[in-house]
Amino acid sequence: SGGAGALAQWVLVELQGQVEPRQSRDLAGSLLGDLHYTCEGIPVLIVGHHILYGKVVQLEKPFAVLVKQGGAPQPSPTGPHSHYTVTALIKTKLLFKTRPKPIITHVPKKV
Amino acid sequence: AAMRSRAEVDATLQTAKLNPAELLPAVHCLSFGPQAGGGECCLLQLEPGLCAELEAGRSLVVRGEKDEHAVLCSKDKTYDMKIADTSNMLLFVPGCKTPGELKADPSSCNIIHSEIAGFSKNYWELRRCRPKLKKLRRLLMEHPYEGPDSWKDQTSTFSKYTTEDLLSLIQASEEEILHQLHVIDACKIDGYWRILGFDYEMKLLNHVTQLIDSESWPLSKVPLCACLEELGSLEPREMIEHILLSYGRKYVDDGEVFFEMREDKICRAVAQMLLQNAVKFNLSEFEEVWQQSVPEGMTTRLDQLQGLALLDKSSRPETISLLKVEDLPEDNQERFNSLFCIREKWTEVDITPYIQDLCGEKQTVGALLTKYARSSMLNGVKVYNSRRPIS
Repeated sequence: SGGAGALAQWVLVELQGQVEPRQSRDLAGSLLGDLHYTCEGIPVLIVGHHILYGKVVQLEKPFAVLVKQGGAPQPSPTGPHSHYTVTALIKTKLLFKTRPKPIITHVPKKV
Repeated sequence: AAMRSRAEVDATLQTAKLNPAELLPAVHCLSFGPQAGGGECCLLQLEPGLCAELEAGRSLVVRGEKDEHAVLCSKDKTYDMKIADTSNMLLFVPGCKTPGELKADPSSCNIIHSEIAGFSKNYWELRRCRPKLKKLRRLLMEHPYEGPDSWKDQTSTFSKYTTEDLLSLIQASEEEILHQLHVIDACKIDGYWRILGFDYEMKLLNHVTQLIDSESWPLSKVPLCACLEELGSLEPREMIEHILLSYGRKYVDDGEVFFEMREDKICRAVAQMLLQNAVKFNLSEFEEVWQQSVPEGMTTRLDQLQGLALLDKSSRPETISLLKVEDLPEDNQERFNSLFCIREKWTEVDITPYIQDLCGEKQTVGALLTKYARSSMLNGVKVYNSRRPIS
């Protein structure tokens, strides 16, 4: 169901392939990377040793983010249907489709 | 995880050989939130209009029981839900600003720590569909209302359905459900939606038509008050009013409520009453009896029986039998299978009333016939038969 009051606007970040943690621990809490924008508005994502260049896309069909209230963790076509709440709307995505540019590291600068 | 500092961000930029002068000052440090891997969040792609509905504060509901595919319902529309897979990873990030937003607000923080709320490789896709309303009639037909004297109604052990019950059981939007309840002449008795048993319905209709006849009222001007007065001792007033609403058009003239009786619907009901007593009738005999049985001043016509009766013009003598479209399967393929079991070859004119309700937003009768039937010529007339052998 929709909420009372304005719905939050989130952004979708679309990456090629899988996102995997460096260590074998849970993803939760770990860093993904730094997201910059060039002065022309091109998103630049630095993930690990890679630089990804992307573009800002206004979605023709926006997304709603649904949060399940109890029930099975993954949505499935059949099975008991729990109650969903719309948490946010997504009208913009940052699409990273270009091949990541590897960063060749030298000795890291001391911070 | 410790939050990144500006110094760390700058160091990374330097290692990456990116020129800070070519970048906007603000950076988003993305990390995975505590719930991110939990799979609690999923994405739903919105069809036109749904986004505006959500922003206006209206609800969308997912409906379906264990054995049903989920549908999404807005206030007045129903959509099939399907999972679409992408080969990419979709991350949903609250509080992430676009370049436009950053430029518009120069005072934005230099570092924005954004937590990724969730991620997914797939999302729900929607496709507008016919509301699944056949179940509605089936539920209400479990226990048709046979009148206040019926002993069946005295036992309260059978299932009865309120509006809320129907909303949770039927895969359709609220408006579509309420509209369908009106179409099938359901009425609320003691807070529960009921359909009248056909015999009781005819009993009520007969009371009204006989009264119209004895009072010599014009069929287009039947007064509600007088009906309630004269018939109130025979049947509950709500039932009298209900039958007038079902078989007449209500209007107000000079402050009084009248009904214009619906000739087609009444003739059709009388036909059903006659046809359900035998498997087949001689057509010309039937037409005679039928005309004699309808109220004075009404004219019977065979086109009033579309979707109710099937004529066989190839037999000698010509015959007519009861075939109600509501009794046929809802699924397209099953519908065609049962029709071809009843009759091997159909003309478009004969089959249309029995497949009309399958037409959706984009499917015409022609499209359905192309998909589910094969056409051929018989005596110069185009006929349709099954695509597969019927045993």
